[in-house]
Parts: sequence; structure tokens; C-alpha cells
Amino acid sequence: MSSIIKVENLSFAYRTQEPILKDVSFEVTSGTFLAIAGPNGAGKTTLLNLLCGLLSAKTGSIKIDTATIEAYSVRELAQKIAVVRQEFVPVFDFTVAQVVSMARTPYLGTFGFESQADRKFINEALEMTDTARFNSRTLAELSGGERQRVFIARALAQNTPILLLDEPTAFLDLKHQVGIYDLLKTMQKEKGKTIVAVTHDINMGAQYADACLLLGPDSSYQYGYAADVFSAEQIERVFGVRGFTGRIDREKFFIPLGKFAKDGGQISRKPDSGV
Amino acid sequence: MHRNKTPRNRLDKSMAEMLTSEKLAIRIVICLAVLVVVMALCTLTGKIHLPEGSRKISLEKVFAGPGQKPGENIDYEIFVGVRLPRVILAALVGAALACSGVILQAILRNPLADPYILGISSGAGLGVITAVISGITWSFWAGSPMAVFAFAGALGTVWLVWFIGRFTGKSQVTSLLLAGVVINAFFSAVIMFLTSIAKSDQLRLTIFWLMGNITEKSLSVLAVSAACILAGIFALFCISHRLNVLTLGQEEAKGLGVDTTRTRAAAFGFAAFITAVAVSLSGLVGFVGLIIPHGVRLIFGPDHRQLLPLSGIIGGIFLVIADTLARTVFGQEQLPVGVITAIAGGPFFLFLLAKYSRKVSWLK
Repeated sequence: MSSIIKVENLSFAYRTQEPILKDVSFEVTSGTFLAIAGPNGAGKTTLLNLLCGLLSAKTGSIKIDTATIEAYSVRELAQKIAVVRQEFVPVFDFTVAQVVSMARTPYLGTFGFESQADRKFINEALEMTDTARFNSRTLAELSGGERQRVFIARALAQNTPILLLDEPTAFLDLKHQVGIYDLLKTMQKEKGKTIVAVTHDINMGAQYADACLLLGPDSSYQYGYAADVFSAEQIERVFGVRGFTGRIDREKFFIPLGKFAKDGGQISRKPDSGV
Repeated sequence: MHRNKTPRNRLDKSMAEMLTSEKLAIRIVICLAVLVVVMALCTLTGKIHLPEGSRKISLEKVFAGPGQKPGENIDYEIFVGVRLPRVILAALVGAALACSGVILQAILRNPLADPYILGISSGAGLGVITAVISGITWSFWAGSPMAVFAFAGALGTVWLVWFIGRFTGKSQVTSLLLAGVVINAFFSAVIMFLTSIAKSDQLRLTIFWLMGNITEKSLSVLAVSAACILAGIFALFCISHRLNVLTLGQEEAKGLGVDTTRTRAAAFGFAAFITAVAVSLSGLVGFVGLIIPHGVRLIFGPDHRQLLPLSGIIGGIFLVIADTLARTVFGQEQLPVGVITAIAGGPFFLFLLAKYSRKVSWLK
């Protein structure tokens, strides 16, 4: 397996502020599910925006496939990387089919009409995300979870090897959170896509991701197998919360305990206990 | 998850949903046919006033041709020399304003934007009142001094707003709107000052212009403006699929491979250009650029590849009818066409506000 994203000594600062990312280096092999986690302000979204070319690095380099990210035009990059941000309702009443069709923009000719091949990608994406059944509804008429699936369908129709997601399950209920992660995992397994997801939910990250990048508050970072990086010590140190760690068979989970937790004083960490 | 009976049906449906170039071509041809019919009917509407009394134009006489010497066939001369250019002019101005409205609503991501929102109106108005007050009489390439000053004023202001907008903030949309509002307010104050020192006959001319007024223009002016406006609309059509993406926001558009800065600059430039041409021809005809894009969007949806050409044609139809009303409702007295569009547009604007603030469902 070759590396599809290669980040070397990446540093970034907003204007004259302290650098938010300092000397970050990591490699993502093709077909991996990478979770990026960390507390607020640690630079997760900044890193995502650097990876999709929206921001440019002060020092260090990002390589996509074989070329550096600066070598790609906006159009070429959109054929390599699809980005899913938090779902929103567009200003104008576009239908689901229209929004998903926009994925083909980087492939269209002068007058901007979709070819038969484009239409095949669009229909496949609608089918795979189970959004085809409401394809003529406008986005305002959908629930948040359905809307997020539409944006994932759009990313799928863009037919890129890499998929970047910024907190794809924020504001979604448990069922839809699991639904979105299942969909992403399916896309990784069936289509061989490389998936990079910024997430606040370390339990979902641990369950679905192969690799994890944990960004700390002081520009420190940990990179490795998800199972290794999501250790109780790491999480307590990076997020600054006390918690309860458990394990069910092979799935680890972490539940934060606040100052007023009813049995907070009595529960000591029991890494291998069942619940 | 609940699934429908046959996946085949769903696929057909989603295929049917999508806009193809053939479907668009058919709709454009139908709308163009309606435009031609409306233009023909409007050219024949209204009486001609002769010393021996008023009567309708006789189509038979028009087809008879110009005759041997000037003045022999009045019907033909009025039809070809007065009515036809005026109807064509109305169609061109309507098309330009409606298309420009579509574009500004897209790049400002605001359904209540119109072609004048970024200062074009006040800039052109300032140009016109300067021309009228200073009493300049020279003309430039078939353009009257009022038209030339209006054009220069409009483009100059748009450039100024763009320039200020680019250097005042990260969110280009907000800073553009703010720059437009500030420039509009400032120039309006200058216009007020100039009107207060103008003589009364100059004032009447200016007021008619500010209300939007379509008058007969020479064929050379018509040909040059038609070329400019149609070329501008065609250029906008070529970037219309990128505008769809741009309405989702800058970050989204970049992620979908659209160079947002270049696309926005091109859209803004072409829209400002066709608006400036329209304004220099007819003054400030209001509401066309607001209500036509809206109406077309309500019926045909927000896809700009379709919205732009259809708005252009329907804007043309609307203004041809409005101008014919302005020309005929009071007999020999002619109203400025802007009065008609505003009377029709005002209630429609309120209706839109109600829709957007209350989400009235029966409008769908």
C-alpha cells in the first residue's frame, strides 16, 4: 500500500498568533480510515482546511498522491479530494438531485451539462446513500441526518480517492451518527476510499477508524493505530477530563466524568472490566 | 430503512429530474416564440395620431413597403422606424436587467438582491444629472451625453464598490453589500444636492430618467447595445453552472473545484456591464431585476443554467408589455415605464417578503 497523503513538518499560524500546528508529520496509506481528534482550538479544522487546499501552510509540505498540494489547480484538487462539512440548508431551494449533481462540476465542459457518465456517478451515489427516494425534495424539507447523507452522496458522486469530513455527525442523534459512520466504513471497504474525519466523538473514532491523529492543546500530537492512540491516559491528558474507561470484547470506550458525577469519587479506572 | 418497490422506477425518476441541454433548448425556444409573438402584438398595439384623426396601424400598409418617397407610407415608417426599435429596446433592457438580477442574487447569496444593489443606480444617476446640469451637448459614438455619462457613472461606481469590498474584509459578500450601501447613500446625497440647484426643465428630464423611461433610439445605438447585452448574457451563461455551486458558499465551491475569486469577479463584471448598458439606454427601470428572477425561480427552480436564459427572455417579455402599457394607457401622454414596473413590482415584492418570512406553503 502506498501513501496517498503525506504531511511533512507542517506548521501553521493565523496571522501573528502563536502557531496552532507545529511540525506535524504523518502519512496516510491509501484506503485507510483516519480519525482526527482533539480538544477545541487544537487545530483539527485548520488541518482539514490545509489538507483540502483552502489554507496554505507557512512551512512544511503536504503531498497528495505524488505531487505537492500547491501543484494542483482548484479543479484538479477537486478531482482528488471531496470535502463534507457540517450539513446546512442552501440559500436557494436546490433539490437533493441538484445538490448531488454539483459534485460533477470539476469534470464539466464549457456549458456545464452532465454527460451520461456523470449521470451514472450521480445515480450510484444517490442509491448507495439511500437518498434516491427523496431526490426531488429540497434540502430544507429534510432532517439534519438526511441532509448530511445528501452531502456525503455529493462527495461520493465527486468520485475522488480521498474523502475529508469535518465533524460529520455533530448535531445528529445516536441512530444517525451510527448510520453515517456505517456508510463511511462501507465506502472505505467497497470503494477503497481514503477517509479522513475530524471528530469530537472519540468512541466512534476508536470503533471505526484504523489510524488516529490526536492533536493536543499545546501543539503536541500523537499519531498511530486508533487502538493505541485512544488510551485513557492520552485522552485524560489531552482533553483534561477524568473519565471511566471500559471495554466490551474488542471495543474500547471512554465516558467522561464531571465534578458532580454521582459515583465519580468511587470509580477508579478499570481498563479491562466489562459493563 | 424503508425502500420503495422497484429501484428501476426510482432511477428513472432521478434521471427525469435532471436538466439536460436538450430540455433547456426546448424551453428556450418556447419562451423565445412567446417573446416574438408578444413583440409583434405590442408593435401593433396603440393608435397613431395624425392631423386627420387617430387610427390603428394597418398591417396591410406595413407589408406594402416604404413607398417611393419619404412620407408616402406613414404606417410603414411608424412601424419600422418608431415602434419596432422601441419594442426591441424594451426587450433588450428587460433581458439585461433580469439576467443581472439573477447574477447578483447568486453572488451575494441573497434572494432580495437586484441589479442596482451595489450602487449602479446612484452612480448612473450621478452621471446623468452631471450631464444634464453641465449642459454638455457632444455625443460619443451614437450615444447621447446622458447615456455616455450614465454608462461611465455606473461602471465607475461598480468598480469603486468592488475595490472597497475587496479590501475591507474577509467575508467578501458582506463587505461588498456594505460598500454598496455606503456608496449608494453618499451618491444619493450628491444627487439630492445637484437636483436642488438644477433648473426646472433640467429637473423634469432627470426625473424621467431616474424613473426609467424607454424612448426611440437610432438603429446604430440599438445594434451596438444588442451586441453588448447578448454577448454579456452568453458569457454569463457559460459560467452559470459554477454559480450554482457558488451559492452554497465559498468553502463549498472551492471544494467542488470552482475558482471562487475568478468566477465571482467574472460574474460581477459581466452583470455590471450589461446593467450599465441597459441603464444608459433607459434610465433606472426598477423591479424587473428583482421580480423576474424570483418568478422564474419559483416556477423552474434555482438551477442557474436554466434560470439565467429563461429570466432573460421572460424579463424581455415583461418589459415589452410594461412599455406598451406605458405608451398607451393615457392616450397620447406617455408614462415612464418605470412607473408601470414599480406598480406591478411593489405588490409582488411584498408578496415575496411574506413568502420568505412566513414560509407560506400554498405558494409551492
